[in-house]
Amino acid sequence: MIEFKQISKKYPTGQLALYNVNLTLQKGEMAFLTGHSGAGKSTLLRLIAGLEQPSDGTLMIEKTDVGKLKTKQIPLYRRRIGMIFQDHHLLADRSVFDNVALPLRITGLHHRDIRRRVHAALDKVSLLNKEKQNPMMLSAGEKQRVGIARAVVNKPKIILADEPTGNLDPELAQDIMYTFKQFNDLGATILVASHDHHLIEHMRKRIIVLQKVNV
Amino acid sequence: MARRPRARKRNAPRAKKRRNRSPHYSPFSTWWNQVNAAISFSLRRLWYNPISTWITLAAIAIALSLPAALHLMVKNMQTLTDDNQQIPTISVFLKQHISTDQAKDRGELISELSEVVTVLFVSKENALNKFKRLSGFAETLETLEENPLPHALVVTPNLRIMNDTKLTNLIRTLKSYPEVDAVQSDNEWMQRLRAIMDIAERVILVVSVLLALTVLLVVGNTIRLDIENRKEEIDVARFIGATRSYIRQPFIFGGLWYGFFGGILSLVIVHFSIFFLIAPTNRLSTLYGTQFNISGLDFSTSFYILIASGLLGIVGAWIAVTSHLRRREITF
Repeated sequence: MIEFKQISKKYPTGQLALYNVNLTLQKGEMAFLTGHSGAGKSTLLRLIAGLEQPSDGTLMIEKTDVGKLKTKQIPLYRRRIGMIFQDHHLLADRSVFDNVALPLRITGLHHRDIRRRVHAALDKVSLLNKEKQNPMMLSAGEKQRVGIARAVVNKPKIILADEPTGNLDPELAQDIMYTFKQFNDLGATILVASHDHHLIEHMRKRIIVLQKVNV
Repeated sequence: MARRPRARKRNAPRAKKRRNRSPHYSPFSTWWNQVNAAISFSLRRLWYNPISTWITLAAIAIALSLPAALHLMVKNMQTLTDDNQQIPTISVFLKQHISTDQAKDRGELISELSEVVTVLFVSKENALNKFKRLSGFAETLETLEENPLPHALVVTPNLRIMNDTKLTNLIRTLKSYPEVDAVQSDNEWMQRLRAIMDIAERVILVVSVLLALTVLLVVGNTIRLDIENRKEEIDVARFIGATRSYIRQPFIFGGLWYGFFGGILSLVIVHFSIFFLIAPTNRLSTLYGTQFNISGLDFSTSFYILIASGLLGIVGAWIAVTSHLRRREITF
């Protein structure tokens, strides 16, 4: 499903974020990515999401060589992946419904199907009653769940989360992790970057530790 | 009673299948759904930002109405020089001592020329009476001992075979007759006016190009500001898989609406301006003893203005959004 073969990533500034990474994630697997700050967790997720291109090596996602994608193919590739950020990136001038509907509007779905799918996604994160609210009116945990609903509404096979519980108290963080587990149970491959060891160990899933590159 | 549960059981998998089936869209219906969303979104943006929308529309309308009004002015002046509507004539003034019979004889001879269609004899008495009537100096003219006006012949040249050279030759021939004192052609001032019109047309072309660039800049800058306000949204959309054309669509439609509605507003401005000019123009033409009706923009010209303004809006928006997409990468 996800295969890193000797992947290195060097930024134009000269900073080496990843060096010679070899990693395989099976279809339907859930794993946690951990390591110190600057170890390259976010870079690794951005490579999978198609936001960055590897400097060296081969990155295969569902038989697609991400490094060889043409510029025009990248948007279509990104639709196959759902990504959640620590700071949500929700649009403040739209309702919860419109935020979650955005990936479906981009795909060009009819508004009837959009309504149906958004309601299903909001139902999964228990926010169906908040669809008309502005995201800025929600608590941090609710905002994160809106972000999750937006990431899963397009039914992606891969879900990536970059420090999704960073701003949340332990109870809410655990709720969010269980939400991920539910999507994993439905067949999605999930990779979560987090440095909350206690939470990760509690989930009893595979843990991948990234070491900071020293050059 | 026993049948009902069985029937429900048989239909249950089919219903479940229907619920889980993800909708399949043809490329056209996908595109159409996106375009529909972009149209309604761009119109809503205009509607919910009324102040900035009206300021932009006013700027575009003024920029478009100036060349349209100049075009209209030249078009109206061209009707004065239009040969098909006003036939140019040559006035031949005879010498004072020429008698009525001599004048009529010369008139008949001139009418036999191939370049001439008709010759109208205007006796000195008729000319004086007309002058008294039009000038308002009737009482002063009564005090004159004798009529100072000569007999005159009004010659209408054959326009089918006439060009500027032939007209000049005809005037020279008329001047060469011994009975003739002076020859005056109405065509001269028309030729001068036509030359002025040619210059005016070129001025309009230059002004139109400059003002079209102004419209491009106004629309481009408005869309650029809109893009700046929606940077985060664009980033999020690109991140979750929006293509460049999807991101462009609402801005392009925004540009189209600015151009199109600005064009409509400019037509309103031009027609209101004409409405205010009708009365003074009629008064002026009455003073000159002519009937001149100021004409407005016809349907085809109005249509072309709307097409041009819409296209200018699209091009302005296209430039703004494309330059943004080229410059900017996703920042999170």
